[in-house]
Amino acid sequence: MRVRMKAFLLAGCLAVSSLALSAASEARTLRVAMGTDAVSFDPIATSDNGSIWTQLLIYDTLIRPDKTGTGLEPGLAESWTVSDDGLTLTFQLRDAKFSDGTPVTPQDVEYSLRRAASEKSDWGRFFRPITGYEIRGDHEIVMTLEKPFTPAFNNLALFSAAILPKAKLEAEGDAFFEHPVGSGPFVLKEWSRGSKIVLAANPNYWQPGKPGVEGAELDIVAEGSARVIKLEAGESDLILDPPLNQMKTLDDKDGISVGQVVPYRSDFVMLNTTKPPFDQEKVRQALNYAVDKDALIKGVLYGAGKVAATAMPVMAYADPALEPYPYDPAKAKAMLAEAGLADGFSTTMLVNSSNAAHRNAAVALQAMLGAVGVKIEIQMIEGGTMWETTKAGNYEMALSYATSDTIDPDQLIGFLAVNPERANAYHTQWKNERLNALYLEERSTINGEKRGQQFQEMVRLFREGAPDIFLFHPASAWAVHDDVKGFEILPTSNFRLEDVTFAD
Amino acid sequence: MTPLIRRFVRSPAGIGGLAMLLALAAAVVVTPLISPYDPYALDFGNALMPPDAAHWFGTDNFGRDIFTRIVAGAVYDLRLATTCVFGPMILGILIGLCAGYYGGWVDDALMRITDIVWAFPFYVLVLTIVGVLGPGEGNLYIAFFMVNWIGYARIVRGETQIIRRLEYVQALTILRFGPARTMLRHILPNAVTPAVVYSMSDLVLTVQAVAALSFFGLGVQPPAPEWGLLIVESVDYMRDAPWMTIFPGLAIAWVGVAFALLGEGLATAMKPKG
Repeated sequence: MRVRMKAFLLAGCLAVSSLALSAASEARTLRVAMGTDAVSFDPIATSDNGSIWTQLLIYDTLIRPDKTGTGLEPGLAESWTVSDDGLTLTFQLRDAKFSDGTPVTPQDVEYSLRRAASEKSDWGRFFRPITGYEIRGDHEIVMTLEKPFTPAFNNLALFSAAILPKAKLEAEGDAFFEHPVGSGPFVLKEWSRGSKIVLAANPNYWQPGKPGVEGAELDIVAEGSARVIKLEAGESDLILDPPLNQMKTLDDKDGISVGQVVPYRSDFVMLNTTKPPFDQEKVRQALNYAVDKDALIKGVLYGAGKVAATAMPVMAYADPALEPYPYDPAKAKAMLAEAGLADGFSTTMLVNSSNAAHRNAAVALQAMLGAVGVKIEIQMIEGGTMWETTKAGNYEMALSYATSDTIDPDQLIGFLAVNPERANAYHTQWKNERLNALYLEERSTINGEKRGQQFQEMVRLFREGAPDIFLFHPASAWAVHDDVKGFEILPTSNFRLEDVTFAD
Repeated sequence: MTPLIRRFVRSPAGIGGLAMLLALAAAVVVTPLISPYDPYALDFGNALMPPDAAHWFGTDNFGRDIFTRIVAGAVYDLRLATTCVFGPMILGILIGLCAGYYGGWVDDALMRITDIVWAFPFYVLVLTIVGVLGPGEGNLYIAFFMVNWIGYARIVRGETQIIRRLEYVQALTILRFGPARTMLRHILPNAVTPAVVYSMSDLVLTVQAVAALSFFGLGVQPPAPEWGLLIVESVDYMRDAPWMTIFPGLAIAWVGVAFALLGEGLATAMKPKG
């Protein structure tokens, strides 16, 4: 029966693709196939990549990470100054319009950022340190802080600091996000949940000549192999995350090219440190020694990734001398024995059932940890329920990952290692007082060598405390038809479709 | 029983099905003794090797020998399928006997329950039960026990209703034989034949259903080499390494055909003369 189903699907794909091919010559809409849908277009209520990536196509922020992921570049703000004490931020807005034609004003900026800092916001503590707003004329806004908070400036480049039209949002309330209006390169035309997001070019976009396509259709196709078939059938111009094992075959095909980049991302196994034996640091470290990370990269990522020293991506202030835990199963066994677990132990691991790389990594981890006596029962779980499950503490081990939406390590260290903070060291409940103190210090230290040392010490403590089994920094891959030019995935994992053009 | 076996032996279908199952059973017993491969050990250096003399069915993305894994997986699929058929079969036969023998309100009550379960499409019901209870082999059994008995209950009830009116059963009643003895020793042997034949086709469907549920992540969990799991794990490799998908698929087909033939043979053998 299953075989028949596949035949049907294949026949269906072929039938649709022949239609699509005949239509492709007229429309200049970029057809993208990606794995995850958006959840909401409200930037203060989302933290999933599907939502973030789409929002960044519709909204603008004052400043944004540049394409190298090492600096910030102008967005809606044409220029800015930050006072020496870091307490006053002054922004000059450019002449920009929302997609409905109304101008972007400093009032919109103040309203949007106050909303992002409100109680209602999931991202409130990123923006609450900004306490004063002063509007000077039509194009200038001055923000003031009561006490130093170094990440404040960088946080304005987060998607959650998107600038929204005050009047429209006030008038419509939450219904605004059903048909949102922003100043970004695209406008939302249609959203069929779980199926596709249709975007049209914003005619009022402030960057001349952009976007280079008439619109973009983001098709939600959960299975990686299905995305590849869509690309080959000419039904998609561009696909995100093709299965890594198919990259070479894809690249060898005429008319198709592939690309990959290692963004600010890290994959790891969360350990619930409230549950024995994960409450013992020695056990957590032993598990880190027991995993052959090079084999994972070879066998699961097909070479597309780097070994991780911790769950912190290699980004600003990273310590180049920091070594990953070496693969040493004998040492792992000895450490488990010292912890009174000479015979090993049994545990469970949650795995997102729709993540192919994680499914494979889980099987490999099961075998590697099994070799030191740790018996793991894999529990496949629907990706959407993973966060709630680990947040509630209903897990022992969970295979997960984190991406940075900014170029400053403050966001992720706070998320992954600080407790209590946003996520209690990403639901591991691990706690290190020295690290917590350094986090406070880092946030009031101006950018420079000293702040770098604070970060490096935090990451060292994080590595030693090992609330996670640190695995790898996987590459984000894509595949395109050769006539699609200018696509790339940025270090912040998102992409700018406004830079994409069709060659002919 | 001798005429039954004689008739079965004369049915080529039945013998063919039996031979296919025995061949699989032999492989299950012999392979672990002679195969140089561990069905679970990773060997990334040998990943995705096409079928050859060393790896008859090739290797998977972890370098595990697919032949060894399929044979090891047969234990899972056969255990699941037989338990999920014969367990509910016993339950369904008892319910059908009671309903058919007692009639009246007992029959009404039992048959209304049957109707309710019957009203739901099989997969919808099983998926719902497993979805609520959570994935895993134990819950798979619970789901099948709750759903799979109805076919047997209906068949046996119908047969029992006919047999109950036969003279020999009425004679038993006059002789004051207890209902349990009458039902189990005197009605059951005559009412069970169609249920046994039906169970063979049920096995074919259940092997598929078990594999399908594991395919959806609701059944057996990795790294067990259950056949449905082997197929779901192969999806991303289907184009470069089709042997990862084809051989587990063939294994499911093999068992399905074997049970279908066996059922055919049993039906021929058990058909009443005249």
